[in-house]
Amino acid sequence: MNGAPQSKLLWLVSIVAITAIPLVAGSYVVGVMCFIAIFGGLAVSMGLLLGQAGMFSLAHPVWFGLGGYVSGILALRGIAPPWLGSIIGAVFVGFVSYIIGAPLLRLKGYYLACATFGLLLIVQISLGQLGPLTGGHEGLMGIPPFSIGGFVLETDVHYYYLSWALCLACLWFLYNLMDSRMGRAIKSFSDSEVAAKSMGINVPQFKLKVFTLTAVMASLTGSVYTCYLRFAEPGIFGFPLQVQLMTMVIIGGGKTLYGPLLGGFVVMWLKELIHMYLGKVLPRMGAHVDALFFGVLIIVILIFMPGGLSGWLDRLLDLGRRTFGKTSG
Amino acid sequence: MGKPADDFLLDVRGLSKHFGGIRAMSGVTFSIPQGSIISMIGPNGAGKSTFVNVVSGTHVPDAGEVHFKGEDITGLPGHVIAAKGIGRTFQLLELFDSLSVLENVMVGCHTRSRSGMLACGFSLLSALKEEKRIKEEAMESLAMVGLEGRAHDPIYRLPLGERKLVGIARALGMKPKLLMLDEPAGGLAAHEVEGLARLIHLLVERGLTLFIVEHNMPFVMSLSRRIIVLDEGMKIAEGPPEEVRANEEVIKAYLGEEVC
Repeated sequence: MNGAPQSKLLWLVSIVAITAIPLVAGSYVVGVMCFIAIFGGLAVSMGLLLGQAGMFSLAHPVWFGLGGYVSGILALRGIAPPWLGSIIGAVFVGFVSYIIGAPLLRLKGYYLACATFGLLLIVQISLGQLGPLTGGHEGLMGIPPFSIGGFVLETDVHYYYLSWALCLACLWFLYNLMDSRMGRAIKSFSDSEVAAKSMGINVPQFKLKVFTLTAVMASLTGSVYTCYLRFAEPGIFGFPLQVQLMTMVIIGGGKTLYGPLLGGFVVMWLKELIHMYLGKVLPRMGAHVDALFFGVLIIVILIFMPGGLSGWLDRLLDLGRRTFGKTSG
Repeated sequence: MGKPADDFLLDVRGLSKHFGGIRAMSGVTFSIPQGSIISMIGPNGAGKSTFVNVVSGTHVPDAGEVHFKGEDITGLPGHVIAAKGIGRTFQLLELFDSLSVLENVMVGCHTRSRSGMLACGFSLLSALKEEKRIKEEAMESLAMVGLEGRAHDPIYRLPLGERKLVGIARALGMKPKLLMLDEPAGGLAAHEVEGLARLIHLLVERGLTLFIVEHNMPFVMSLSRRIIVLDEGMKIAEGPPEEVRANEEVIKAYLGEEVC
C-alpha cells in the first residue's frame, strides 16, 4: 500500500498541508489541530490494537499517562530534560506493558476489556495517591517546556509541529509494519488464531509485541502532551479519555490505519462546533452536551457505516476503481 | 535429516484424546513413510479431524507419542510444530479474510522469514529484500495450484473450490515436509476434484508427503497408497485400498454403506 504512487502523493499532499496550516491559519485553528495530532495519533495506535489485531484493551490512557508522568517528573526534578525524559518514559512504559501484558493477554474479548479496565482504575488511583512522587490529585504543575539543543519550544506553533511530526512518524511506521510479514501476521491472528498458529506464528508473543509497541507510541504522545500543557493530573488519563479514543476509532474506522486519525479530526472539530453554537441554543446543557451528541453519532455510524468513515471512503474508492478501473490505470 | 534408520516421516503411537466425557480418539498407532500418500477415512465423528488437530499441535494429546523425522514432537505448541515442517489445511478453510489471496500465501512463508518489528516498521533494506523474496515464493506456490491470476483478489470474491486451493497454496508457502489436508475434496465439483488429484500427484513428485482426511471414497481409493480407517476414535483397519475395501469391519462401520 505504501509503495503505490497514489499513496506517496497523498503523503506528500498531507505533509505539505499540515506544514502550511500554521502559516495561514490563526492560533485557534493551530491549537485545535495540535490536539488532533495528539489525540488522533493516540487513536491510531488504539485503532491498531482494536481494529486490526482484535485486542479489546481499555488501558490505552494508562500508557499515555505514564509516559507523560515519567517525563514530567524527571523534568520537574531536573533529572532529565523533557526530550530525554520522553525516551526514558517510553522505555519504562515498554517494560511495564510487557510485564503486565504477558499475563493479561491470555484473556480474550470482553475479559481482556474488563482486566484492562481494572488496570486503568488502578493506575489512575495510584497516580492520585502517590502524593510525594506524582503530586497527588493536584498533579504536576509547571513542567518545563520541551527544549532541544538550546531551542525552547514555547508557542502553540512549535508544539503543533512537534506533535504532528510524532503523529505522522507513528503512522508511517505502522503503515510500513502492516505492509510487512509482521503486519500480515497481526491481521492473520485476528482473522483465525488457529490457522495463524499452524502457519508457524507464535500468537501470544505477537500479541505481546503489538501491545508493547502501541503502549510505547502512546507513551511518547503522552510526554509531548504534558509538556505542551505544562501540567499533568490523574483525571485527564482516565476512562473519559478512553471513551473519547474509542469514539474516534469508531467514527473514523479501525480497519484502516488513517481511520482513527480522520476520526480524531472529525471528533475534535465537531466538539468545537458544538461548544460554539449548541451552547448558545441550549445554554443550560453545559459542557456535557457533546456526550449526548457523540452517543447518537456512534449509534448512527455503527448502524449505517460499520467500517467508519474510512471504511466507507475505501469502499467508495474501490467502487470507483472498478467502474473506471481500466481508464485511470 | 539424512538418518537412514528413520524411513518413517511421521510415527504415531497410542495417540489418545478426549474432550470431557467424549473419547474422540484412543490408542491410534501408525506410521507415514516418506514420499507417499496416506489417507484416513471413517464415518462422521470418528476422530479424523481430532487426529489432524493433535498432530499439528492445535490440541494436546492425553496419551501417546508423535514423532516427526525421528524427533518427539508430542504436545509442542502449534507454531513450533509448523516450523518443523508440518503444514495443514482446514476443513472449514480458516483463511485470513482481511488479506488478499497473495497475502494469505505470504503468511504461509512466515516461518522462513526473519525481519523483526523494527526492521519492518522502519522499512529497512533487509526487510524490503525479504519481502520481495517472500512475494516471489508466494507467487510460485500460487502458480502451482493455478491461482496466480487471482493473486490480488480479496478472499470473498473466490468460489469455494478456489478457496480450498488457496488453503493448500498457503500451506505450501511453508515448504513443509508433510502436508495434511483436512477434507480437501469436500464440496467440490467433479472436475475440481480431478484437478485436485492432479495437484496432489504433482506435489508427491516434488518430494512432499501427503496425509489426506477425506469422505470422497473414489478420490481416496484412487490416490492413496495406504488407507487408515477410524471408527469411534479407534483404528479398525489399515492397508492398501483394495484390502480396506474388502475389510468386513470397515463395511460394518459404514453400516452397509457401499464402500465404493
